[in-house]
Amino acid sequence: MNNQPNMKQATQAVNPHGPRPETSQAAASGPQPTLLGNVYFKFILFGVALGLIGASQSLGIIKASTLGYLGNVLIYAVVALGLNLLLGYSGLITLGTAGFMGFGSYLAAYFTSDMDISFWGALLIAIIVPTLFGVVIGFVSLRIEGIYLAIATLCVSEILLKTFEEAEELTGGMQGKKASYPNLFGFQLDRLTTYILLVVVLVLIMMLTYNLVNGQMGRAFHAMRGSEVAAAAMGVNLLKYRLISFALATAYAGLGGALYAFFIKFTYPSVWNINLSLYVLAAVVIGGMRSIYGTVIGAFVVWAVPDLILKNLPIIGKISGVPYIFNGILIIVVIMFYPNGLAGIGNTLKAKAMAMIASGAGTGPKGASTQADTRTPGSPSGAAQSPAPAQGDAAIRPGADSGEGVSK
Amino acid sequence: MGSELSTVLQLFMRSLETGSVYALAALGIVIVFRTSFVMHFAQGSMGMFSTFAVAYLLARLHIPLVTATLAGVLVAIVMGFLVDLLVVRRMRKASNVAKEIVTLGLIMIFLGLAPILFGSDPLLLPKFLNTGDILIGNAAISYNAILNIVMGLAITAVLFYVLQKTKMGLAVRTTASNEDTARLMGVPTRQVTLVAWALAGVLGLLSGVMIAPATTVTVSLMNPVQVNALFACVLGGFQTFYGPVLGAYIIGIVNNFLIYYVSSTWGGQIMYLLILIFLIIRPNGIVGKKLIKKV
Repeated sequence: MNNQPNMKQATQAVNPHGPRPETSQAAASGPQPTLLGNVYFKFILFGVALGLIGASQSLGIIKASTLGYLGNVLIYAVVALGLNLLLGYSGLITLGTAGFMGFGSYLAAYFTSDMDISFWGALLIAIIVPTLFGVVIGFVSLRIEGIYLAIATLCVSEILLKTFEEAEELTGGMQGKKASYPNLFGFQLDRLTTYILLVVVLVLIMMLTYNLVNGQMGRAFHAMRGSEVAAAAMGVNLLKYRLISFALATAYAGLGGALYAFFIKFTYPSVWNINLSLYVLAAVVIGGMRSIYGTVIGAFVVWAVPDLILKNLPIIGKISGVPYIFNGILIIVVIMFYPNGLAGIGNTLKAKAMAMIASGAGTGPKGASTQADTRTPGSPSGAAQSPAPAQGDAAIRPGADSGEGVSK
Repeated sequence: MGSELSTVLQLFMRSLETGSVYALAALGIVIVFRTSFVMHFAQGSMGMFSTFAVAYLLARLHIPLVTATLAGVLVAIVMGFLVDLLVVRRMRKASNVAKEIVTLGLIMIFLGLAPILFGSDPLLLPKFLNTGDILIGNAAISYNAILNIVMGLAITAVLFYVLQKTKMGLAVRTTASNEDTARLMGVPTRQVTLVAWALAGVLGLLSGVMIAPATTVTVSLMNPVQVNALFACVLGGFQTFYGPVLGAYIIGIVNNFLIYYVSSTWGGQIMYLLILIFLIIRPNGIVGKKLIKKV
């Protein structure tokens, strides 16, 4: 953060002791010495919490199956963060996520089981090869727009899926392909330690994403999403940033696929169909576009809530289609009424609470720091920082208000 | 040589049959797209749902196929109405991405509802005409295949007639061309979108009923239809109503011939690859025009 000194001065100049309505950025980038204000420390804390939840399985506090669902959440959170870069930050839509994720999983499984390449080598291959595909799609995306792009990526995904089914010598065909827990520098990991590895990867990816979207690239993405023509006129190199955003999204998907192979130890074609791409999209939308924690929450809602919570409810829990309906209704409701997703709802509540506190007696640093805690870290445009988060988001906002205008 | 010719003929008729299935589904997608500006990803799922209803009526309640299909048409219409009234109408001002995501949400709802209402066991749906072949040369073509081809062509023909020659068709076309102006000119655009969604539902049902005898009725029945119908729309371009129909028949023909003459395992991929390359060369489809973007 090269603007730290300015921010620090500004904060001090305004009011060093009172409530600090504008300091979430400053607190996040850490000019204050407090450890809790440091965004990276918060990511690590989040990771430690996730790791502890997983570790509690060995004490019998959570069930073994719960660890599996949580591992799934971590894997898909990585993939969803990639899609969020594409859909949320740059405004490009893709339906190819499942194909690339499957590609990564097959590469990882093939190179570790059949070629005896080390974990790191296979991981690298599983990330790089899909990324190259992503770059090609980035080129294509300059010619194809909107829905056509979505369908073109769906086309790529379908080609990959059919290849998984047909290239039996490499992929095992419909039987699927086995993989094993990773071997790190001679240590053979088991289920729990692989879970910890997933947590570490997710935290690293969250940090990476945070840095990406708060730097120059993030600003370029925002400009592109607002208006590509205007962005180009302002000197944003559309080709470069489209290539980067597609490359990143596919790299995350490839990484997620490799992690899937290492954690589930098995990969087969029917997992990687269009419905998975839709689920990842759902996670991004439900959690909140342009929100890093929101995406992780979204992944939790989509992959863990149906199995961990809905299945345990009386009556409804017995019916098999309920998770689908739950997610479907959630997507529609979120898009119609809360275009910023669950993260947006959280921010609105916080902002309202803050306003009440501020209008009452100024309670100072405690309120401010909790506010910074839950705010979207990844939005320099002010969409998340403004008291009404929905405002900066006209592009995606369907608006309950416009609906009323129609149905009068 | 004679047998070669009859193989080609048989392949061609089979292509027309699959092409008809895709064409009906694609027509539903493009009509919805032109009138309510929503990319209808749920076309297949809605078709699956109403086809499931038909199969359920037939298998569990023993209602004759034709009556069950008519009931299915009713289900499809009601579903279309509900989707438009409850969801689509309320988000006319939303961005395109938001609308697309909403139809993805619809997919999940129908995927979840179908097993709850109709059970999770796969159901069988018989052909309308169970026996009988026509021999053309050495090529045997079943009556049912001919019925499907005729149905596909006839329905598209009727729809085009309605679109081009009737007052209602005019309303649809003006809505498609510019919704705001159409409304100002007194076109009941709300009824138009309502009818469009119901029509898409019925077209989805018909394509479902046509393809179901070839497999079993499960929740994934319409996945290939949905994917190919989308590709047909892209191939033909969204700017005209006949483009997607053309695209659907092209996909049917190219797919069947590639599978027979080139490779039975890789034919599908080759076709998708060709579509992708075509898209890159002509991003707006066969008959599409480039939309000029204004800032």
